[in-house]
Amino acid sequence: MSLLDEIEPLKAEALAELEAAPDLPSLEQAKGAWIGPKGRFTGLMKQLGGLSKEERPLAGKAVNAAKVELESLLNSKRDALELASAMPSRATDFTLPGRRRRVGRLHPLTQVTEDIVKSFRKIGFVVADGPEVEDDYHCFDALNTPADHPARDMQDTFFLDSKDRLILRTHTSSVQIRVMEKQPPPVRIIVPGRVYRRDTADATHNPTFQQVEGLYVDKNVTVSDLKGTVEFVFRELMGKDTKIRFRPHYFSYTEPSFEIDFSSPLVKKMGKDWLEIAGCGMVHPKVFENVGYDPEEWTGWAFGFGIERIAMIRYAINDIRLFYENDVRFLRQF
Amino acid sequence: MKVTLNWLKQYVDFDWTPEELTERLTMVGLEVEGVEQVGGGFEGIVVAQVITRDRHPDADKLSVCRVNDGQGERQIVCGAQNFKAGDKVPLILPGASLPAKPGEKPFTIKVGKIRGVESLGMMCAPSELGLEADSDGLMLLREDARVGQPFAEYLGSAEKDFVYDLEVTPNRPDLNSVIGIAREVAAVAGTELKLPKTTLPESTGGVITDHVSVEIRDGDLCPRYTARVVKGVQVGPSPDWLRNALEKVGIRSISNVVDVTNFVMLESGQPLHAFDYHLISKDGAGKPSIIVRPAAAGEKFTTLDEKEHTLSEENLLIADSEKGIALAGVMGGLNTEINDETVDVLIESAYFDPTNIRRTSKTLNLRTDSSYRFERGGDVGICDWAGRRAAQLILETAGGELVDGVIDACPNPIEKKQITLRHHKANALLGIELDRADTDAQLARLEFVEISKNDDSTTFEMPSYRVDMKGEIDLIEEIVRMHGIDKIPSTAPRGAHGTNEFDPVHDQIAEARQLLVGMGLDEAQGQTLIATESAARLVDAEALVRLSYPLSSDMDVLRPSLLPGLLDSLRHNLSRSNHDVALFETGRVFNREGTDVKEERRIAIALTGERTSGFWQGDERGAKYDVHDLKGMLEEFFEDYGIRGVFYRRRDENPALFVESAVIALGGKLEIGSIGQLHPALARKMDLRDPVYLAEFNLDVLIRRRNTGKSFKALPAFPGSRRDVAMLVDESVSHDDVDKAVRKAKAENLETIELFDVFRGKGIPDGKKSVAYAFTFRSGERTLTEKEVNGAHEKIVKQLTEAFGATMR
Repeated sequence: MSLLDEIEPLKAEALAELEAAPDLPSLEQAKGAWIGPKGRFTGLMKQLGGLSKEERPLAGKAVNAAKVELESLLNSKRDALELASAMPSRATDFTLPGRRRRVGRLHPLTQVTEDIVKSFRKIGFVVADGPEVEDDYHCFDALNTPADHPARDMQDTFFLDSKDRLILRTHTSSVQIRVMEKQPPPVRIIVPGRVYRRDTADATHNPTFQQVEGLYVDKNVTVSDLKGTVEFVFRELMGKDTKIRFRPHYFSYTEPSFEIDFSSPLVKKMGKDWLEIAGCGMVHPKVFENVGYDPEEWTGWAFGFGIERIAMIRYAINDIRLFYENDVRFLRQF
Repeated sequence: MKVTLNWLKQYVDFDWTPEELTERLTMVGLEVEGVEQVGGGFEGIVVAQVITRDRHPDADKLSVCRVNDGQGERQIVCGAQNFKAGDKVPLILPGASLPAKPGEKPFTIKVGKIRGVESLGMMCAPSELGLEADSDGLMLLREDARVGQPFAEYLGSAEKDFVYDLEVTPNRPDLNSVIGIAREVAAVAGTELKLPKTTLPESTGGVITDHVSVEIRDGDLCPRYTARVVKGVQVGPSPDWLRNALEKVGIRSISNVVDVTNFVMLESGQPLHAFDYHLISKDGAGKPSIIVRPAAAGEKFTTLDEKEHTLSEENLLIADSEKGIALAGVMGGLNTEINDETVDVLIESAYFDPTNIRRTSKTLNLRTDSSYRFERGGDVGICDWAGRRAAQLILETAGGELVDGVIDACPNPIEKKQITLRHHKANALLGIELDRADTDAQLARLEFVEISKNDDSTTFEMPSYRVDMKGEIDLIEEIVRMHGIDKIPSTAPRGAHGTNEFDPVHDQIAEARQLLVGMGLDEAQGQTLIATESAARLVDAEALVRLSYPLSSDMDVLRPSLLPGLLDSLRHNLSRSNHDVALFETGRVFNREGTDVKEERRIAIALTGERTSGFWQGDERGAKYDVHDLKGMLEEFFEDYGIRGVFYRRRDENPALFVESAVIALGGKLEIGSIGQLHPALARKMDLRDPVYLAEFNLDVLIRRRNTGKSFKALPAFPGSRRDVAMLVDESVSHDDVDKAVRKAKAENLETIELFDVFRGKGIPDGKKSVAYAFTFRSGERTLTEKEVNGAHEKIVKQLTEAFGATMR
């Protein structure tokens, strides 16, 4: 049998074997057996050299064509088998719970504080800060609340066991004084922070709680400005359909002073028309004098509110103590 | 302060509904905390008397009665058994309705037949009238009930009224009186204030100067003292109008004389005191002399609540020639109290210094309606009026004879304050243009008397009761109240942008929180006040910042660390079966440094329980947190936060909180915190069953030291080569030791050192461990040759062998 005649049957045998390979390893094995260095087809090619001049071109061409055919099959078969092995072995149940990497949650009071900070920053406020351990002067006297002033009754103070009568600040208003002492007007700050009052813990009281104070001092600041800003911030915080009402009130460090009530569908749902939410007023001239600002030149307003109260209203939380227990089932709801 | 609608209407005319009054008072700064309706009701219900009671012809349990309703007789069918002919009962007439229970519609009585017998009304049980929750049988009325009398009248609450509970702010003591509130209403309604006339009858009891003298020894503490005497009174129960007026606002009726002093106090805001005239010692001139003097140090005095007080020179006493008879402005003395035998009465109406009253009341812990008013500031101008009014009402309710005249000692007359309002200033502050004439008129309605005016200003004299009016700004506040804050427009935010050095710090704290949350930690917020016991596990007792008068022993120091709070939160969670808890907190801690209190911001982390809650396959399933989880969080946090050069140095001696811990240090020196495991003994005490890992560090330092600058480093252009080494070393050799040794070898082109295995157990001798490291070598200029890499690696191996006697595996 001539070499030329051997090509076809050998090719057919090789094709069949490649075709039959069930997986990649057997395919590679088949490849080695036929077209690898020691493969049978390769052996055939090696014999070409022994052919006559006349036979050689014809046989060479035929062998090459067959080899191309084999390689082409090999490649397509390899692709197919590779793809098959990469296919999912069985149908995936996409309803199975995934392998989660939990992300923690920010405390609800932090979230509310950050929202408050964001709305104030939109209108040019910056955040300021001050100590929680304070003295009488910054917490009361400088705020036009001298020692025997009845207004001190409104806030029961924690005293530290110290010679210099240090106290825990009862409101963030002490930071107003510290900031104004340090920097000349204009001032436009908000102060979130912890404050302390001698209240036994119950559903609406905790000896530690948090406030945000806002202070704006500039030339020609008016009650209208106060109203406009308060309305802006509360609509940002509590929704566009929030209504705001001002009522005359009394705080020793502002004059005129107001309490702020708000109303919203949520408040109506609670069976009320108005909920008291904040106090505010125009900075008292005495306060300006105490920090060395000229009350004839500068006017300003301040307002403050409790962060827990906002959070409680916003999320319908009914017990302030939940904020400080840190039950993860609570924390993970926000 | 409580006031009723009807009482108020005696002094001022207004046609507002009770709801409108609430709204008006609220908007003028007198917040209404509650409104309660009293009296009234029971329309169509009268007192009736049963004349006959016969059995119903067709029903054993019913009776047919003839009753007298005051107008005539009518027939009533009744099911109750507890009455007989002659009894008086409440009867509801047809067409009237029983009081509705909450959530129900009122039930209207009709004429009807009950088992064929006509019934023209219904006799009522207490429960049907809403007077009792449950009752059995008819309500049987007192003998003295008048037949035909409206039932409400029988109950003594014929008149419908509304009790307003008002929040009076401490700057407005004048509003602690019905007249004060009426004055506000008059100003708002634009009507006249009608003060009661205090015309006194012809005097028949002699002249006052024969009866009493007054000597004020400290005119600063007592600028005014008035005294009147009424003789021959009969102390007894008060008339209904007086008793009702007091009881509606929650004051118990005592006797006519005492009730009058309370009534006048509520009416005018002026606290009064009535003495039994004959219990005041007489002096040489044969008449009592009232001496207003500071108490002697250590002087004993018994107030009429039968408590003995030891006084100091700070306390002001009302005394006679022998003894103290009242603690000025606070409470009367037991020795001169009005009693059943009192015949002659001395009425004191005075003004005392607010600060002094406040101190006395505070130091003696004695708070009364009187001290409450005086310490907020009384009305020096009303003393005589109130004394006259009391005399008038005592004569009216307790009889007696008036002693002519008054002793009015006023050593230091208080001048009326004058305040000038610059109208442009008011406009500038309010942001509106007010009409000057309107403004002046509004202020005049508050009884501010115009003294003078010029181009842009008006000067007013303040009435004596407005002790809050001190300067121009107070007048501006009054303008807002009268004008209405709701009529001032809102202007959009405008003006300067703020600056404050803390502003960026706020963001850096927020950034730290975000990183920690991203690691799967929930944010906690703990109490600032904690127990000494838990604080002392971390900090020396001397460094703790203590409260003077703590609310309780578990909240008596300021937290010196965030960890005790986090442990409390873990305990809280575990006790509620939340076993897997990973928390962090950022907040302030407080430590004493010498005499100063140092506040510092920190971050703390606490981990316990399972690391990933419940995946359903694989090795991770059920794996618990270990110290490496915590260490990994710290490494990741510090790197992301821009902190380099963090070292962890194991402690030989641990704070009581830890069983094992390490100091976290920056640059090897600056200690910024701790990482470690909670001592199992403490864990057991707190019912924490899985190991608890804790870390805490100073955030202020990190914010100061962090380097957030970022710059691009070209990506490597040439391949790196990796060489591994596995070796046996002593247990005592730390990763840090290996790391240092490798660096000491100064192998060329070494890029990274990575630990990839630590093994103990089979085939490894006791006291040894097998550690495996991978080293990557890379040059920025070319591909390294095998020879270069191997050479560098050899250097490392040699160094390790020499340093630790390590055996390569």
